Amino acid sequence: MIHGVGGKVIWVDLTKGEIEKRPIEKKLVEKYLLGAGYLSKVLFDSIPTDIDPLSPENVLGFATGLLTASMFPQSSRHVVAALSPLTDVWGESHAAGFWGPELKLAGYDAIFFTGASPDPVYLNINDSTVELLSADDVWGRDVFETDDILRKRHGKRARLIYIGQAGENLVRFAAVMNDRDRASARSGLGAVMGSKKLKAICVRGAGKIEVADPKKYMDTMDEFYRRMLANPFTPGRAKYGTTNLVEMMQHIGRLPSYNMRQGVFEGYEKISGETITEKYLVKPRSDWCCLQRCARYTSVKEGPYKYVGGSPEFETQSSLGSRCGNDNLESVLFGHHLANQYGMDTISLGGTISWAMEAWDEGLLTADDTDGIDLSWGNHESIVKLIKMIAFREGFGDVLAEGSARAAEKIGRGTEKFVMTVKKQEIAGQEPRAQKSMGLAAVTAARGADHLYAFPVLDEAGFDDEIRERFGEEYLPEMAERLNPKYKGIMVKECEDFMVVVESLGLCKYGTQIPPEFYYEDVALALKVHNGFEFTRADLQTIGERIVNLNRLFNARRGVTRADDCLPDRLTKEGAPLGPSKGEVVELDQMLDEYYLKRGWDNETGIPYASTLQRLGLVEEASGMEIPDE
Amino acid sequence: MVDLKFVIGDPRVCTGCMICVNVCSMRYLKVISPERSRVRAVRIEPGLDFTLFCRNCEDAPCIDACPEEALSRTSKGIVIVNNKKCTGSGSCVEACPYNAIRINPDTEKAIKCIQCDECIKRCPVDAIWMTTMRELEERDPDGEIWALHDEHSEELYSKEDLQ
Repeated sequence: MIHGVGGKVIWVDLTKGEIEKRPIEKKLVEKYLLGAGYLSKVLFDSIPTDIDPLSPENVLGFATGLLTASMFPQSSRHVVAALSPLTDVWGESHAAGFWGPELKLAGYDAIFFTGASPDPVYLNINDSTVELLSADDVWGRDVFETDDILRKRHGKRARLIYIGQAGENLVRFAAVMNDRDRASARSGLGAVMGSKKLKAICVRGAGKIEVADPKKYMDTMDEFYRRMLANPFTPGRAKYGTTNLVEMMQHIGRLPSYNMRQGVFEGYEKISGETITEKYLVKPRSDWCCLQRCARYTSVKEGPYKYVGGSPEFETQSSLGSRCGNDNLESVLFGHHLANQYGMDTISLGGTISWAMEAWDEGLLTADDTDGIDLSWGNHESIVKLIKMIAFREGFGDVLAEGSARAAEKIGRGTEKFVMTVKKQEIAGQEPRAQKSMGLAAVTAARGADHLYAFPVLDEAGFDDEIRERFGEEYLPEMAERLNPKYKGIMVKECEDFMVVVESLGLCKYGTQIPPEFYYEDVALALKVHNGFEFTRADLQTIGERIVNLNRLFNARRGVTRADDCLPDRLTKEGAPLGPSKGEVVELDQMLDEYYLKRGWDNETGIPYASTLQRLGLVEEASGMEIPDE
Repeated sequence: MVDLKFVIGDPRVCTGCMICVNVCSMRYLKVISPERSRVRAVRIEPGLDFTLFCRNCEDAPCIDACPEEALSRTSKGIVIVNNKKCTGSGSCVEACPYNAIRINPDTEKAIKCIQCDECIKRCPVDAIWMTTMRELEERDPDGEIWALHDEHSEELYSKEDLQ
């Protein structure tokens, strides 16, 4: 047996309304862990290659990590995955909260949904009871209403995951929401739930988690807590969450502004973390066993943008703020609240609106296209109006609900030039001309443009000691230099391998990557006392590599090659126009060459070599595919 | 009589991480299980996170309610459960106005906070502390913490929550 887990997996056939419980497969866990790794393997095997992501043939998976609901710092997380309706490739998203731990406490590690229900349903789990119930009375309701209604019905202690109207209306960047204001936002997986007519999963777990080494458990965790709290990053994180990244990014010219025309924003102080903390912060919030408490609970007390609710984070300040040329902070906060309410990814939301704003600015979109809405930079009233129109697919909102890449394809007229995506997913708030590793990470991430798959932040803020420890002295100083492309292929590769392990354990990237307090040896120790596994650093690194390679095979099967690992021309050919990174471009080809070499992937196609797959035990998975020889 | 000690949490300071809840079940039962913890964490929007412990009432209705006389107060003023006598009748659960005593579903014995301090030591934000009525009056002279508890008493102490 495996200690510290639920032990069972639920399979739901929504077409037939059938539910099956299966024991967790230990052999699979030893090879892929749980969480992201487990979903990578199960969905690789169960999602047919040539399907529409919004068809019943797509398989939607939810999984907790091996350390979800442990007492490790920041161990609350779960993963959602399917074929993405936004990117048409591997779709994966993660969130913190309490839903994942509750699922574990009910005795389950993962849930898979196949088919599609004819009528709206939700899955209700109360320990051993697992049932599909009619969602007629919550279909059409927003996230907060759905939370209120279902918790009234199933008990205040029930924990929920759900979609809002955006998911029901198949907005291609709809989020899967949980615990009111937590979001598995990227990849448009909310639309997959919507396509299956699955509104929510309600969980109540009164069980217990039995750990492998109860004698050493608390002492081990106490030492992790001591280190986490003593880390110099923790007080700042507790005070500002991620909101003060606005100031830090402005300082290094990495704050995407005006649809990524530039990396500095003249109105940055008005949308800064300092301003949020001073005027709108109610209190910091934590999820399960989180010592860093980066979540914000905020409110705007009066005016048109009045609300009280969770967050925002830096990404929303950037996407609905600087990226749209918008320095009206209350509209950014309220827009974020609306995105939570309707269930949408704020990165793609702001990225899509800012694409339309630039097209408007260039005269390529006019009031005839936009139902008369003025899309001048910084028009916050228009931004807020569009958020609702997108969620309900009203008028011009229906065009934008497809995401910027598809919207530009539909509109044409040269607006394609202003699409800031990779594999049709909008690039996050990380202007890569000011940090080259972020440019590489955005193109190699399996789910399309993404800063978190690798989360290569070791060159961001003076982590020379950690680079020395994790990579070796020989990579300094180049690897630590933000603007230097050298060694970034090596860094991104190693960061990806570690980060997919972290996502397979249900841990947070805060604490493992920034600040880089816990590394392989620490999570290996946690896996020993919690789960009873004896993994070495090398074992875990190999598992990480295996997961990344399997994600790549999933995408290669969908036709992805090196040609798709590309950035918009603006970022590789046009020098940053102003700010501290003026004149810089992303030297993508140079970094990609280094990355593929380090990965053992063919430099021309970006497909793993047969020898790489052999080494990682992925030969069977690649059967039937054209695999290059070294 | 000695000042009776109990643990109190400030719902405005608590971030809701549940480390106290998990420390408790780990220390006493060697498992992670909010259902088996002597602390309950209840989040009430907007923005409140309550941690609920035994109030160590002076009149202790739980003691009087037990048909087996399994509950008693020690010389230090702590109300404890005698596992040999406890039959899990649930009378104490019924009697407690604060939902602060519950039956462990595995052992079918009553469990409650005995003011051991283990959770307090580990709270990352110092939202919980050992207090007495006297200390609390000094620290919170306007009674804001009690007022917040009273305002939400129905939700905080509903027996339905134990289902």
